[in-house]
Formats: sequence, structure tokens, C-alpha cells
Amino acid sequence: MKKSDASHMDRLPVDFSKYKVLNKSDNRPDPFSTLSQDDYDSLKQVGLDMKRPPDMGRFLLFDHNPFFTISQTEGVEILPLPDAMNRYPWMMEKYYFKAIDRNMDEFTRQVAEGENQGYFIRVKKNVRLNHPIHTGFLIHTPQGLQNVHNIVVIEEGAHLHLITGCVSGKHNQEGLHIAVSENYVASNAKFINTMIHNWGPDFVVRPRAATIVAENATFVSNYYSVSPPKNIESIPYTHLEGNHSSAKYMTVLASMPNSYCDIGGTVLMSGENTSAELVARAVNYGGTVLQTGLLIGAAKGSRGHVDCSGLMLSDGGVIEAVPGLRATHPDARMSHEAAIGKIDMGEVNYLQSKGLSEMQAIALIIRGFLNIGVEVEGLDTELEQMIQQISELSGHGE
Amino acid sequence: MLEIQDLHVAIDKKEILKGINLTIPDHEVHALFGPNGCGKSVFISTIMGYPEFKITGGKIYFNQKCINDLSIDERVKLGIGAMEQRPPTVRGVKLGTLAEMILQMKGETLQGISEISKRYEMDRFFDREINDGFSGGEIKKSEMFLLMIANPSFVILDEPDSGVDPEQLKTIGNMINQSLHITELPGERCKTGDRSSSIIATHSAAILDYVQTDKAHVMIDGQIKCSGNSLLLMNQIRGYGYDYCVKCQQSIDNNEKK
Repeated sequence: MKKSDASHMDRLPVDFSKYKVLNKSDNRPDPFSTLSQDDYDSLKQVGLDMKRPPDMGRFLLFDHNPFFTISQTEGVEILPLPDAMNRYPWMMEKYYFKAIDRNMDEFTRQVAEGENQGYFIRVKKNVRLNHPIHTGFLIHTPQGLQNVHNIVVIEEGAHLHLITGCVSGKHNQEGLHIAVSENYVASNAKFINTMIHNWGPDFVVRPRAATIVAENATFVSNYYSVSPPKNIESIPYTHLEGNHSSAKYMTVLASMPNSYCDIGGTVLMSGENTSAELVARAVNYGGTVLQTGLLIGAAKGSRGHVDCSGLMLSDGGVIEAVPGLRATHPDARMSHEAAIGKIDMGEVNYLQSKGLSEMQAIALIIRGFLNIGVEVEGLDTELEQMIQQISELSGHGE
Repeated sequence: MLEIQDLHVAIDKKEILKGINLTIPDHEVHALFGPNGCGKSVFISTIMGYPEFKITGGKIYFNQKCINDLSIDERVKLGIGAMEQRPPTVRGVKLGTLAEMILQMKGETLQGISEISKRYEMDRFFDREINDGFSGGEIKKSEMFLLMIANPSFVILDEPDSGVDPEQLKTIGNMINQSLHITELPGERCKTGDRSSSIIATHSAAILDYVQTDKAHVMIDGQIKCSGNSLLLMNQIRGYGYDYCVKCQQSIDNNEKK
């Protein structure tokens, strides 16, 4: 079978009727104090430590029940989105489905039309947070359908690092997570959005994200996935609208047998002198990975680079790297690179000759491959553990 | 320490080593001379256990134990260490990380060997990916540094002088002497107690200006054709080239046939 055939065959039509629509229950105990050890462990794996006092604020969507801490930092708001919509009627006009078309596909329609939950986070003008805000989405109920809508607003000159962990309950194998995320980064602002996924093997995940970036503003997206769902399609879209704005995507994922991951990103550079970089790394243990990255240079001085690389560590499985460039302005300048291959046994032998065992050598090479120079403040240990986990997967199953 | 008995090695069914016999006792440093393509690197890699080199006959003993079937790292654990002629670039892996891992296995730390890393200016390479963009001399220094911190009892050096400028060659020589625990004290040659054993494969013999050896062997066409005094053999090779060795050997072979 040709690779392209394999990748397209794996596209999965989603049968919504298979899943239980999760609703908000009024008497749900507060998970901040009553979380089971299993759920606590699941959330901690994706960076949300519910026992640690939140530095800057915290939000958790447990099935469809939002729990959050009031931020003690002046100029920072964290609210469930429905509450924010009630409190600020102007949001409807200004932000609600303004970055993403509600009719983009069946999943955006599902979010627009069904009962949805999620966070509204606003960092007000010139407020620069020293520590990240942590958020989490946990699907505890088997076959639950989580219908999420998030809106983040970073006002002029403000800085935010948001770390979001999406995870299934420890024994929950199957569910559907749909999420619309709209991010607005105002001029001279900076938004680092770190996303960590760890799903049960039969989950279907459909995030739909869009970020509008104004003049001189910066958007950084880090995505890590250790345990992929059965099927995920995520092609976040970023619009560098303002002059001198920039975007950077870093994607690291491990793919397992019977999983399908279509993870990429599209950046439209319509502001002058904008820059974008998309970097993707996939370690394939037998699933299907599509690395799609598209840069659109649509203004004078727009610059961009796409770098997709994959390591094949199994005889089965598919990696398809599709780095794309589209220029619609004569002064746009962009480049791309893509490389897919096996681990070089010459490197393994060399490291063994320094005393490392074969498994240690392979794990070290994978760690090196995944090391894309991202340092995520407030997440060092978890990221380190995650990369360790991905690199050590090679020691199992064969 | 190392004993090779009638070693035959093939690559893709082509025989490269054709019956090597060689013994390197404890505390002795031997040189292995030979023209390009004679099989020196294959011999070195076979001792290390690189899987692409298939032993089709013969035995390799290290401290009386046959190591034919041991993996590379198992041989390292027995006390064998090697400097490769052309080590690969390992992207994404920093030299400092590998050095830390080697030291961890011995219960040591980078801080504990700071004297060595500073003396040979290796600390500035710790944040660089292994061999990535290193010059010829820097690669040799890096390899020697890793050997020094691993501190094996048997040291294999594959062309430590190739691609190295004369100034750096002296440093490499110092590093080799330190790794072999050879000191410059008077009378040291008589006190071999702490010295490691070694085999140094060299085509040009340039490194022997800095490292003293006890014995030398000449390999031609996959066989050890001549063994003897290092200085004598080196001078002959420097004066007359390997052609002389080939002709000399041919005449011996012809006489034997007669």
C-alpha cells in the first residue's frame, strides 16, 4: 500500500451518536479537593498538579464541569467561558467565533450549537506574568463527548504562558474531545501556548484553533503528545495580521500502532515583515503520522521556514511529511526541509563503544532528535519526563 | 591481555582479515602499521565488536575470555575502549551529555574531571552536538577525552594522527600518554605497573613521535606480515614506504616456497 493511500484511508468519519454528551452537573464535588488519585496522576502527567498551589491561576474542565481558581494577580482573569459571556456581552461581538468560522466543519458546528464549556482567560494591558497559568481538560466518563470552547485575550503589551493538559481518565479508553480555541494577541504582546495530550487508545480528538496576532506581537505554540488517541486531526491556524509579528510552532509526538495523528499548522503572514517557523518531530512506533505545515507569505518582507522530521522505529506505520509554502507576494521568502528515516545504527554502535547499552544508545539518540530547543518554563520536569518516556518506548514491545 | 588467534573477518562475504595472530600482553603498547586499505580499521572494529564485521574464523581473547560473541558495550564493560578514526556525528546529543553518562556509570561527575576538561579545553565543547562541525583535530581530542574519562584498561586507537595538524598532534600525544598512564618521569619505561595496554593503528606513524611503543606490527593485505622493534620498523616505513615492506615480504614468501 502506498503511504499516501494509507494516510487518507485512516481519516475517520466521526459518529457523534456513539458518545455520551457530557452535561454540567450542579452538585459535582470540587475536584480541587476531592480528586481521585488516578485522576490526579492523569492530570499531573500533562502538567497540571492539582495539589500544588497555583502560581497565577488554574482552570480544570472535569467532564463538563468547570473548576477554577480566582487569579490573585491583578489584571488576570480566568473564567468559564459561559460565565464570561454573561459578564461581558461585548465578547459576542468581538471574540466569539470571530477567529474561527462556526461553520468551518461539523466539529465547529457541534461546539457552536451544543452546550459547550471552556475557559476565558484575559491578561490585561501591559501585565506580564512571570509564571504560567495551568489549565486542564479531563474526560473521566467513558465514551464522553467533551465540547469545548476557549477564548484567550492577551491585551496590548501583556505576556502569558498558558499550559494546557488534555487527558482521559486512567481507565477511560474511549471518548470524543472537540475544542474550538480562539486566541487574540494584541500589539506588542506575547502568548506562549503549550499543549500536552495524553489520551486513551480509542479517543477521537478534534481541536480547532485559530490565533490572530497583531503588530509586533509574538505567538509560540508548543505541542507534545506521548500517548496518542486513536485519531486526532489538528491543523491550528495563525494569522500574522500585524506588521513585525511572529509565530513559532513546535510539535513533538510519539505515534503508536492503530493511532492516526494529523498534526500540523498553517500560518498566514499578511502583515509586513512577519516571520514564522514550524518545527515538527515525530517518533513512529507503528501508527500513522501526517506532518502538515503550510506557510503563506502574503506581504512584503514575510519570512518563514518549515522543518518536518520523522524517525521510523517500527516496520509498520506511516509518516508523511508535507511541508508547504505558498507565496502570494513577490517579496515573501520561505524555505522548508523534511527528513524521515530510521535510527542510524552507526550512531548506536558508536555510543555503545562508549559503554552505553543498545537501548540506552537508542533512547539517547531519540532524545537528541526530539530536542528542538524548547525550554518551557514551569514545565521542565514534566517535559523532561515526557521526552524520556517517548525515547524509552523503543525499549518495549520488540 | 589481548590475544588474537587465526582471526578471519569478512564484509559482505568478502574476506578482509585472513588469519591474524597477535598477542598484546599487560602494560604493553603496540603499534599497528599498514598501508591504506590493508585492513587495520576492520581489525580495530572487529576487536570492538562492530556487527557489520563478521568473524568467519578464529578467536579473540581478552584476559583469557573469548569475546567473539559479546556486544560492543559488553566489551567496553570488560575494560576495552576505542578511539575511532571517523566517528559519526550524533545530532541533538551534546558531548557533555555523553560525557556525563559515561561518568555516571563510574559514579563520577563532570565536575570531578574538570581538571582534564580544562587542561585540554574540552569544556567549551560540552554544549555542542557530538562531532558536529568539529575539525579533524577537535574530533581526535573529543575521542581522546571520552577515552580518558572512561579509563579503560585496554585502549584501541585508530589513526589518532590522521587529519591532525602538527601542533594538535602534540596535544593528542599528551592525551594518549595520559590515558595510558605513561608518565615522563625518569626510568618510567621500566615501571610499567600502572600502564594500560594499547594498540595504535597508524598509517603515517606520526603519532609515534609523541607516544613510545613497545613493539610494532605491519599489516599487509589482511595479515600481520612483520613484527618487531617499533623504531626500526617506523624508520624503514618512513624511509622506504610500505612498498619496501611488500617487497620484503614477497621475498620472504618466495624463499619459504623454495
